[in-house]
Amino acid sequence: MFERRLYYHIDWALVIAVLALCALGVIMINSTTADPTRGTSRMYLTQLYAIVIGLGAMVFMLTLDYRTFTDKSHLIYFGLIALLLYVMFFGQVQMGARRWIPLRVFNLQPSEFAKVGVALVLAKFFGENRGSPSWTDLAIGGVLTAIPLGLIAKEPDLGTAVTLMPIFLAVAYLAGMRMRILGMLLVCTVLAAPIAWKFALKDYQKSRISTFLDPSQDAKGAGYQQIQARITVGSGGLTGKGFKQGTQGQLRFLPVAHNDFIFSVLAEEQGFAGVLVALGLYLFVILRALEAARLAKDRLGAYLVLGVLASFTFQVVYNVTMSAGLAPVKGLTLPLMSYGGSSMIATLAGFGLVLNVRMRRFTN
Amino acid sequence: MAVPVEDRRRLTTRLSVLQYVITVIFSILAVGFWVLQVVEHAKFEEMAENNHQRTLALRAPRGLVVDRDGKVLVENRNSYSISIDRERTKDLNRTIRLLGAVLGLDEKNVRAIVDRHRREPTYRPIVVVQDATLAQVAAVTARRLDFELPGVVVEEVPTRRYPETMGAHLFGYVGEVSDTQVSDQEGLKSGDIVGQSGIEKVYNAMLMGEDGAKRVVVNSVGREIRTLEEDEPTEGKRLQLTVDYDVQRAIEEGFDQLGFNGAAVVLDPTSGDVLGFTSRPAYDPNAFAAGIDRETWANLTSDDDLPLSDRAIQGRYSPGSTFKMAVATAALQEGVITPDFKVHCTGSATFYGRPFKCWKKGGHGTVDLRHAIEQSCNVYFYTIGNMTGIDKIHKWATLLGLGEKSGIDLPNELVGLVPSPEWKQARFKEKWYAGETVSVSIGQGSVSVTPVSMAVYAATLANGGTRVTPHLLKAVDDGNGWKPVPPPAPRSHAPLDPDKLQSIRDGLFLVVNGAGTGHNAILKGYDVSGKTGTAQVISNQGKERAGKTEKDLRDNGWFVFFAPRDKPEIAGVVLLEHGVHGSNAALVAHHVLDTFFAKKEGRPLPPKPEFKANLVP
Repeated sequence: MFERRLYYHIDWALVIAVLALCALGVIMINSTTADPTRGTSRMYLTQLYAIVIGLGAMVFMLTLDYRTFTDKSHLIYFGLIALLLYVMFFGQVQMGARRWIPLRVFNLQPSEFAKVGVALVLAKFFGENRGSPSWTDLAIGGVLTAIPLGLIAKEPDLGTAVTLMPIFLAVAYLAGMRMRILGMLLVCTVLAAPIAWKFALKDYQKSRISTFLDPSQDAKGAGYQQIQARITVGSGGLTGKGFKQGTQGQLRFLPVAHNDFIFSVLAEEQGFAGVLVALGLYLFVILRALEAARLAKDRLGAYLVLGVLASFTFQVVYNVTMSAGLAPVKGLTLPLMSYGGSSMIATLAGFGLVLNVRMRRFTN
Repeated sequence: MAVPVEDRRRLTTRLSVLQYVITVIFSILAVGFWVLQVVEHAKFEEMAENNHQRTLALRAPRGLVVDRDGKVLVENRNSYSISIDRERTKDLNRTIRLLGAVLGLDEKNVRAIVDRHRREPTYRPIVVVQDATLAQVAAVTARRLDFELPGVVVEEVPTRRYPETMGAHLFGYVGEVSDTQVSDQEGLKSGDIVGQSGIEKVYNAMLMGEDGAKRVVVNSVGREIRTLEEDEPTEGKRLQLTVDYDVQRAIEEGFDQLGFNGAAVVLDPTSGDVLGFTSRPAYDPNAFAAGIDRETWANLTSDDDLPLSDRAIQGRYSPGSTFKMAVATAALQEGVITPDFKVHCTGSATFYGRPFKCWKKGGHGTVDLRHAIEQSCNVYFYTIGNMTGIDKIHKWATLLGLGEKSGIDLPNELVGLVPSPEWKQARFKEKWYAGETVSVSIGQGSVSVTPVSMAVYAATLANGGTRVTPHLLKAVDDGNGWKPVPPPAPRSHAPLDPDKLQSIRDGLFLVVNGAGTGHNAILKGYDVSGKTGTAQVISNQGKERAGKTEKDLRDNGWFVFFAPRDKPEIAGVVLLEHGVHGSNAALVAHHVLDTFFAKKEGRPLPPKPEFKANLVP
């Protein structure tokens, strides 16, 4: 099953970079959740457990040939749809959204795993075709993405739902979708925006976008987080205020610091230097994974890597931009660093697939 | 499923494109962070500091006030105020609603308080509850921990405390500085607590300390996390008053027993030290200490008895028979009569075609000056007053301190009136009628005096003619030990002939110790001397015309006194509004004198008095 020689082809550099980001995340979680007035928090321990489980998932994703997973991708896909439907009716409600399936140890968030599932099913679907995808291919791929996307958006968890779109676009792009079609899709999006504004977006979503354009118009409401995020990052300076010394995160001027805004806290406490290190690690991970796609022995492998990478990259870029108060605040976490078990396990499992593709580049 | 060459080439190209795009995006992000964190760092650092650092004023405690023996009369206690810090409330309306519910206050009232201060700068917290109860403080702090009440601040503030309900008008009260006070007086800022009356006002500059400040770190809901630096407040200077706690206590006990409104001022006749001072009805200065509530204030200002007015320095009353010593002094000093000058009293006498009555229907018979004073014979004083003339009466009454401001160190003293032809001409553009002099001679007519001027009058007769300035401040401690404050210079000296004065004193001695009306003040061995006065508040004819009325038409009762007769150590006055008779006022004076001498000689102080037996109903 697991041939010994494959071991030598594991991309240790990527593994180490991923683990370094996880470690950075644990440190920042420890910093933001230790409140001297309320006793020590065990959140960073929970995160450590999630990392351990995630590494288990990563190893599991390595042991079988990635083609085994893609061959079973339709089953995985339907399983995910079933889970999402289950969440819709029986999921646990937290902060106004029905996103979680309560397990004994932690709450499972199926939408996080949907990213891997969609990557698998799209890789399989486009990998079986030759030449540039036809209109029909694009339509089928679009529907395959749209179903889980719709279910997740309904929870509502628009942030996570949106991360599925880059998977489809990236895989389709790599599969040879004509640039003209890509251009048309972009034009359609731009044209659809005002319509979406009018009919599809809810009021709180509209206010998030309008306050992004002018945060001061609602400095105490929706614009508050954005202004605070900018202050947090800006006050960090070149070298930062030091571990646990950040005032913005420690004194709770910035909400959900251990989660959505963990990068802001990193920027505050570790400064521009820390930001460069973290950005560098993320860039390394992404470029290294792209390398895996280039080295893949078949299209299937390349598409799979890119599918996994697309949502990851999108989330990293968006979250980092938001952390600096330069994008509307949306409930999008920073993969590998933000607090959250499901996200951590799903992300590490995804990297398991990336390693898998690279490792098996010489096998048949 | 090997990749066809053509596909492979396209795949590689597109992957390269992605690599470039992502590298560019990350570079842009890095530049973005560089701009925020390095280029604009200073701006954001300041914003972060404003976010989490706050400067709190630490109110300086006002100086203590002690009596002449060092007993604490006014002190400070700690109270808690609950405020809303608008910079930290995310939703002011919600905070108002929640705070009202938590504190058990009407939401409308809380909103009204906030609205009143809405125009103030937002960094200044709006005090919603001053002197909060412990239950309220507990309710707020408990919820603040739950982050339910962002922007609600509990502060500990030193607050004035008057341990005993006495001398309200003497101490005065404190209150938040008014806008006009801020613009008129240097060194005051909005929100300061300043003295608004009494010595709290007069010596406010000394009593007020210097506020300190504290820079603290607060979290996003305004809770203090730790202190960065602290500039301790400086306590105000301590003041020692001339007041004697026990004398003051005796005065208050006397009034408590009788239940009349009125005033009393007791002095050391040689120095002008005020030993005791009261005005009734009084208020509770404690009610003002942490901001008076509207209801209590409305009750105080609408009360017909005017509890806020200080009768001792602002009340102007007819002196009645207590004015007779001034007339006697004028007649003796001007050589109009000698102490042996005699008048025959038949119960009334006619001057300028008008009958003037003596209070004793059958008359006093033939009396000399001493006995005329002892028995308060009106006819005697009609006669000598008429002989002396208004100008000379005016001159000597003024020298004795009547119709003048005493100069006491209390705010808003009013002046009484000793009439003169010039005054009448200026005031009414009318000539003085000789008949008016006759009325003035027994302290009726247009004569009016304040209790404090009567106390000076008593002191001047007691010390031989020196019109001392009554004063309250004895010493000041600015933290480096007590420094005595020299008493203010006397206002004037009346060149009184000792023998002539002695005859008046003899009369006053007889009032108390002889057959006079001041018998209630007798104190064996201390030669108490004094004079009662019973002044009509309405003329006899007026009384008949008024018939039955709700208004209190009973006479005012005076008692001016000093003791011992030949070497006076204490002098003063007691006035009872509608106290029926001056002998009732003498009851209070007796208790005061008894206390004073007992304390001086180390005897146990007399117990609370029972006046019922000797009270004239």
